[in-house]
Amino acid sequence: MIVSDEELMMECRKGDMSAFELLVRRYQDALVNYIHYTINDYHRAEDLAQETFLRVFKSASRYEPKASFKSWLYTIATNLSKNEIRNRARRNTYFLEDMVEENEDVYHSEFMIDTRYQPDVLYEKKERQQLIKKALKQLPENQRLALTLVTYQELSYEEISEILNCSIGAVKSLIHRARQNMKKLLIKAGIGGGVNAKI
Amino acid sequence: MPKYKTNECKNVQTQLSAYFDNEMPTWKRHLIWWHLKRCSDCKHQAKAIEQTDKLLRFVEPVKASDTFLSTVMSRATTMKATQKACQSIFNRLGSFVNGFQLWMRGNIRAYSLVYMFGLIFCVITMIGVTLYSPRIEKLNMFPQLRSKSSETQQERLISFEVIVLPEPKRSFKIR
Repeated sequence: MIVSDEELMMECRKGDMSAFELLVRRYQDALVNYIHYTINDYHRAEDLAQETFLRVFKSASRYEPKASFKSWLYTIATNLSKNEIRNRARRNTYFLEDMVEENEDVYHSEFMIDTRYQPDVLYEKKERQQLIKKALKQLPENQRLALTLVTYQELSYEEISEILNCSIGAVKSLIHRARQNMKKLLIKAGIGGGVNAKI
Repeated sequence: MPKYKTNECKNVQTQLSAYFDNEMPTWKRHLIWWHLKRCSDCKHQAKAIEQTDKLLRFVEPVKASDTFLSTVMSRATTMKATQKACQSIFNRLGSFVNGFQLWMRGNIRAYSLVYMFGLIFCVITMIGVTLYSPRIEKLNMFPQLRSKSSETQQERLISFEVIVLPEPKRSFKIR
């Protein structure tokens, strides 16, 4: 029997730490992944994901299962990510990924993996991934958030509207514009050339 | 800006993302499906969206590190302990007062007669005690007070002036 997130949260409200642990287990990868796509910094994404879970734990006593837990969790994560992006912009700091070369993988650099034995296919794959990440980063903040939520987190438009605090219609247009822009950026990067020659 | 063949094409192309994400009613999906079957331009656009989505999914998802869970749990445990410690006596007193107020509200409404009788009894007792306060010596409850009061009485006695009448100079002898 699968226990719902809301039920686990109610147990957590009573002080059950194992329920909280189960919740963290359920969402840790998805949340780190989401924040990583949003702020493009893995280590900071982990920190923010931890902060998100701690905020959930802190306000567990006030939790009431009116809205879905998932939306609430992603709302906290989105707010933290937005704050991080704004703080970085204010402080004029750059992400580690911005400073390294385009094709260089930050987390699997030479001292981590012996690239001599890496096949060309893998290299190409990584290169392509880097280009897609770069294109995604160029999208406006809200478009990037909406696209990340729908593509990587597979949330419904209703949930996204709750997280981004806007109407479903606005989410529809955000995602539509995000995909259009993404298509253009990918063509510009030389990946999606064969997709649509007209644009 | 992309140019649309017809108004229908414009409507369809703006809703392609929702169609692709399955975020529209079935009848609308059916209409768009029919349009895509007929219109090559819109079909092309739909394929482009599909391709973009595929490319986006090409990026491998990252995973949380092995120490993530243990770090979160240890921090949460510490937070719980700190929260407990920070719950000061004032907070507890406040919660007690709140609870008492709530209890009063709930109970006074339900048992207003009992409350009124209790209140009247208290008032009468207080008036009675004020007007006809019992003597402490009689109560025999506070020995310290009693001894004090006896001392004061002795002091009073001592302070009395004793008047000794002088003997008369002439005495009358009664024969």
